Order: sequence, then C-alpha cells, then structure tokens
Amino acid sequence: MPDPVPPSDDFFNQFLDDYFAECEEYLAVVRRDLLNIERFVGQTDIDSAQLDELFRSFHTMKGISGMVGLPAAEQLSHEMEDYLRVLREGNTQLNKKGFEALVEGTRVLGEVIDAHRTHLPIPDIQKSIEALQTATSVRNAKKSTASYSDPESKDLMSDEWRFLFVPTQARSDAGINVNSVRARLQSLGEITRTTPLVEKGDVVFEFIVSTTASEAELEDLNDLGLTRSPVNQESETVLESATTPTSSSTPSTQTHASSVRVDLVRLDQLMLLVGELVVTRARLEQNLNSVRASVSAADWRSLQEVNVTFGKQLRDLRNDVMRVRMVPISEVFERMRFVVRNIARETQKRVHLDLSGQETEIDKFLVERLMDPLLHLVRNSISHGIESEAERLSAGKSAVGQIFISAKTAGELVIIEIGDDGRGIDVESVQSSSGIQLTSADGEVNFSDLLKIISTPGFSTRKEVDRASGRGVGMDVVAKAIEELDGELSVHTERGVGTTFRIELPLTLAITDALIATVAGQTFAIHRSSVYEVIEIDPSAIKVLENNEIILHREEVLPLIRLSRVFKLPDKREGVLHAFIVGSGAHATGLVVDKVVGLREVVVRSLADPLTDVPGVAGATELGDGRPILILDVMEILDASRRISVSQRT
Amino acid sequence: MRRMVATSLSNLGQCKFEEAANGLEAIERLVLGPADLMILDLNMPEIHGLDVLKFVRARPLYESMPVVVLTTKGEESVQTEAMAAGATLYLTKPFTSSELVAKVRGLLPETSDEG
Repeated sequence: MPDPVPPSDDFFNQFLDDYFAECEEYLAVVRRDLLNIERFVGQTDIDSAQLDELFRSFHTMKGISGMVGLPAAEQLSHEMEDYLRVLREGNTQLNKKGFEALVEGTRVLGEVIDAHRTHLPIPDIQKSIEALQTATSVRNAKKSTASYSDPESKDLMSDEWRFLFVPTQARSDAGINVNSVRARLQSLGEITRTTPLVEKGDVVFEFIVSTTASEAELEDLNDLGLTRSPVNQESETVLESATTPTSSSTPSTQTHASSVRVDLVRLDQLMLLVGELVVTRARLEQNLNSVRASVSAADWRSLQEVNVTFGKQLRDLRNDVMRVRMVPISEVFERMRFVVRNIARETQKRVHLDLSGQETEIDKFLVERLMDPLLHLVRNSISHGIESEAERLSAGKSAVGQIFISAKTAGELVIIEIGDDGRGIDVESVQSSSGIQLTSADGEVNFSDLLKIISTPGFSTRKEVDRASGRGVGMDVVAKAIEELDGELSVHTERGVGTTFRIELPLTLAITDALIATVAGQTFAIHRSSVYEVIEIDPSAIKVLENNEIILHREEVLPLIRLSRVFKLPDKREGVLHAFIVGSGAHATGLVVDKVVGLREVVVRSLADPLTDVPGVAGATELGDGRPILILDVMEILDASRRISVSQRT
Repeated sequence: MRRMVATSLSNLGQCKFEEAANGLEAIERLVLGPADLMILDLNMPEIHGLDVLKFVRARPLYESMPVVVLTTKGEESVQTEAMAAGATLYLTKPFTSSELVAKVRGLLPETSDEG
C-alpha cells in the first residue's frame, strides 16, 4: 500500500479536500440506502432504484479514489460495485452475509478515506474484500436459468403514465426543477424512461412512469405543472391528449438509457445472420461474374458499384455487431489484482502486480472463459515462480516479486502475456521426471515440448502440495481451455530470470478471413491468422532428410508437410507448389498445397457431430457457390505429422 | 468529480459557474440561461453525456458553444463518438486541474461573465 501522497501544492490540497467532501457525501447516501435495503434481505423484490444509486455511488468513489491515488479505496469500491452489479442483475438475492459485507465494506471504506486524510496508515481492506468477493461469487454457484426474469410480471398491475415537464425560470425559482420533479415521480412508482424532447421550440422533459398510484395521488402532482397522459403498454405509443401535443417525430432525442443489457444468445443470433449475409453476398458476386459477358460495360459498372458498396456495408455491419460483443479485458485483469493479493498472502510472499493493456477489447464470450486459465497461470507464477523473500535476496533480486499481465491486439489476434521474475521452470527436473530430452546439444530449450509435458494431466515436479496451485492440476486445464478457444499457448522460461506464458486468441470465432487452397482437386480453407507467409516452391528444391521433406527458406531449414499426404490424396506431379508457412522461429513449418486460390471472408460452422470429429479439421464453411469446404486446424495437423514422422523413425 | 472540476475552474476568475448533478439538470440549466461553455462528464446518472451533447447541439442557441467532454481512459471509441456528436475537445480522466484550466481558458472569449 503506498503511503499517502505528500501534499505537493495548494492546488492539489484543494483537490484532495474536494475529494474528501465528495466521498463524505456519497458515503452518507450509501449509509442511508443500505439502511433502506436492509428490509430486502432474503427477499427477491429488492428496490432496483436504490441498488442503482448504491452502484453509482461506489462507481464514482472508485473513479475519484483512482484520481487521488488511493488504491485501497478504489479496490474496495470496485468490489462493492461488483457485488451490487450481481444483485442488480437479479442473479442472486441479498442475503444476510452479503448485506453485512456491504455494511462492513462501507465502514472500512470510510476508515480508509479518513486514514488518508489524517496521514495515518491505511487499514487492511483484505477481509472486507474477501467477504464481498464471496458474496459476489455466490452467483456462480447458482447461475440460475431465470436470470432474465420476465419483465412483464412485476408491472402487471401498474399503469404507465407519460409526464411532461417544461422547465421555466419561474418554476426553477420556486424550487420546481427537473430533479425535484423526478424525485416526486420516483416516490410514486418506477421511472422507466426519461427523455429530453423539443416541442414547439421548447425543451420538455418526458418521464415514463409505471405506478400503482391512485388517481388522487396522481392529482397531487398538479402543483408541479406537469401534463399527464396514459401510455398504451402494448405498443408503447402515446395516446394523444388534448393538452399535450406529442412529438414522437424527434427520433434523435428518443435515446433513453445509456445502455441496454442484451442476452448473449441474441447477439449470437445476430452474428449468425450476419454470417449468412456474408455467404449470400459471396453467392451474389459469383452470379454477377457469370453474367458479366452478357451485360453492357455501363450496366456492369453500376452493378459492380452496388456490389462493392454492399460488401463494404456488410463488413461495417459485421464489425459493429462484433464490437457490441467487445468488452475491455480489464474486467478480467482487475479480478487478478485480488487473486494476486490473496495468493501472495497465502504463500507469504510479497508480490507487485503490473497490469497493462487493460483497454484491449475482447469478445464477451472470452471473458468468462479466460478467467480460469488466467487464474491458474497467475497462481502458478506466484506459488511456483516467485521465490521466497530470502531466496530472492540471496539471488540478488528485489525482495518483492514482480508479476505482469499484459494484453494487446495484433491483427486479428489478442495476445495476453502472464509473466514473473521468479526462479523459472526447472527444465532439468522436468526432463528427468518425464524422461524426455528437452535441451539440444547447444543448450537450447525446446519450449513447445516443455509446455506439452507440464500440461500433461497430473504432472508435477513439486514435492509438497500447496493450497494455491495444488499438485499438477492447472496447466492441463489451462492448455485445454485455450485450445477450446482456438487459441495458442506458449511459454518462455529462463532459470533464475522468470517465466512468461503467452496466450494468442482469435478476436472472433464466428467469421474469419481464410486462405483458400486446393489439393488434388479438393478445396480447403485455413485461418489467415495462423499463416505467417505464403511461398511458392519449386519441387526440385525440396530435399529429403530422414524421411522428412525440407526446403531452404530465408537461409533457414523449413520442414514441409504435404497436405496431400496428410489426407492421403495424390501428390501434384507437375509445376510449382505453394506452401503456407505456419508457426514462427524454430517451429515454422511449410504446409504444402497444390495451389493457393485466394483470401476469402468465411463463416465458420463448427462440426459438432462426434462422428465427424476428424483430427485436423477445425470446422466447415461454404464458398460463394454453396459448396461446403473444410477449415483445417493447423496445430493439430502439425502435431499429427510430427507423431507420424517420429514413429517412422523408430 | 464535479466539485474538483469546479475548484479547478475557480482559478480562472471572472467566470460564473452553474453545476448540474446529472444530464437532465444540465439540459435544464442550459434552457434557463445561456452559457458560454459546457464541461460535460460523459458518465452521468440518468442520461448519458453523449445524449446530452447530441441534444444540446441540436438546439440552435448552442450550436457553437464550446463543449469539453470528460472521458475515462480506455474509452477511445466514446471519445470518437463524442467528437462526432459535436464535442469541441475531450479530456481523459485522470487529468490535472492545470490541464483543464489551460484547455478551458483557450476556449473562452477574452472577457466573459458566464461559464
């Protein structure tokens, strides 16, 4: 925990004063709201407006605490916010423990802020954070199917009214303003929508309120100068009333809330539709090409223009739909902060976590699936990687271990790295316990084999089992999870210097750019992201070395794998061959095909049927002519070929 | 946050400020009296800052009023959106008060009595 920032200048002091004042206000609101929600403990119909207010209060405190450099308050607010989010989503109900965690968290938060003000040591927040995290994670235990509860049910008995409020100076002077009006309406029911509108040149605020209030109660509102009309619930259109000319003709101002929660399934559906559009357009293009000869040049140009525009718009649509699904990876990373703290405490090590690239956006789908693998890797880094303090000092390192987690995008890939400056993996020990040679004569470590061995279920070189990483569980889970996401895991380690794991993931799984190639008359597709280079090969340049074909490329030996042989098809006999270079550095391999046809945008359809679960095939897609083709899984093909060549040698 | 901005701006002198706690109130304030400049936090309760911006820009009176939007780090797409919606410039939180003051000073007319 950093010491309170020493006051640098008057201005910053003033800034801090404002921060304390603002926190004071929010804490007051929070305490009031907490008292109000106490009666909902154990109930399902918790007041969402109050949860919203609590959520916002902590959200703001998190933000301003970050600005003044008070991470303890930032983290605590973040956890409170997290728990409230879960409650708001209705995935779990407020129980006694959760409520107490909120109350205790608020108390500690107040203490943290006070300590900062009085330059006293910051109190420990760990216990509160753990209590809140426990409360939050209850959601996972009972991820209910009814998380999207029917919104109709609760409003069944209430009426929807549309209120219009015109702000004027006179009303404002009399204390009637948009806030007071809103508060009054809120006391009667739930405001489902608030929109500023322009009517006849005047700015008017429209409130849609769903309420069970009686006519008399509604009449009471008249002193506010509101006009009221009923809302037809089914169509949400506004009934024309004599006094209120409605202006539904201002669509630009019809934006009500800043965000909407959407079921991921719906987005998947949308993505699927976009995918189908992509295929249809490809088909259209093919048909266009076939009639090219029979239309005039002018007609052709205008057709082509429409076609190209269509293509561009489709690409934009695809990108936008994809973007809707994207969330910053900070959602995952922030969680790691607490994981690191917890494990560091458990293992009694001092660890500093360095996060970078938190703004990197990834598919929401990946967020949940990345959490576990990252957790395992971080755990491993701290409990296996980082040495004890004494060990570090005697090795000439700083007593505090460093863990870094970073994310960045590269083309269509997201690259996540998790590293430590610990002792590094003991390659010799892995070598002796597995019996597999991992170092070459000149001492070069085969990292990909090393990764394979440590990812074997049950593998461990560790003698005693510890709570955080257990024994041998973890790496196989990580490797499997990453493989399922169509990603690639790699490792680099150096004795005494540290270990870094690298995860490469495709940005999206549904639509991708693929290279299309033919082998013996068959067409195949391969993800562009896995190809580093496409080269032309003169068959006479291929040399055979111990049953393996190789070629000299950029003054390096490049092993070749003929797809024709992988799929037991005839080799091409004449003319040049093409090859995709997959993998980089020492793992580069040339995947030889007869001919590369080109680059296409394809829609990936998974082959879920176990009968068609062929190794080496990642999925299927269709080209413009409707012909289905297979998408190859490069990594599996490489693995399979290596196994074959090894078994042939022995 | 709002208070911090107000404190920073008090350094400008000769300006009058009005504060609004949320987007609705901000719109109301603008309706009730003209303003020379607006500082708009995009993350506000009730109505998103972007919607406030769009609404304000649609009013002839405020077509050319400078608007400084405050965004959060990592929301680059929102910044672009805000600029497209008519923001004059944006500041990414966290910023220092001198940054804010410098930007605001550059946008204000030489002598002004309202802000």
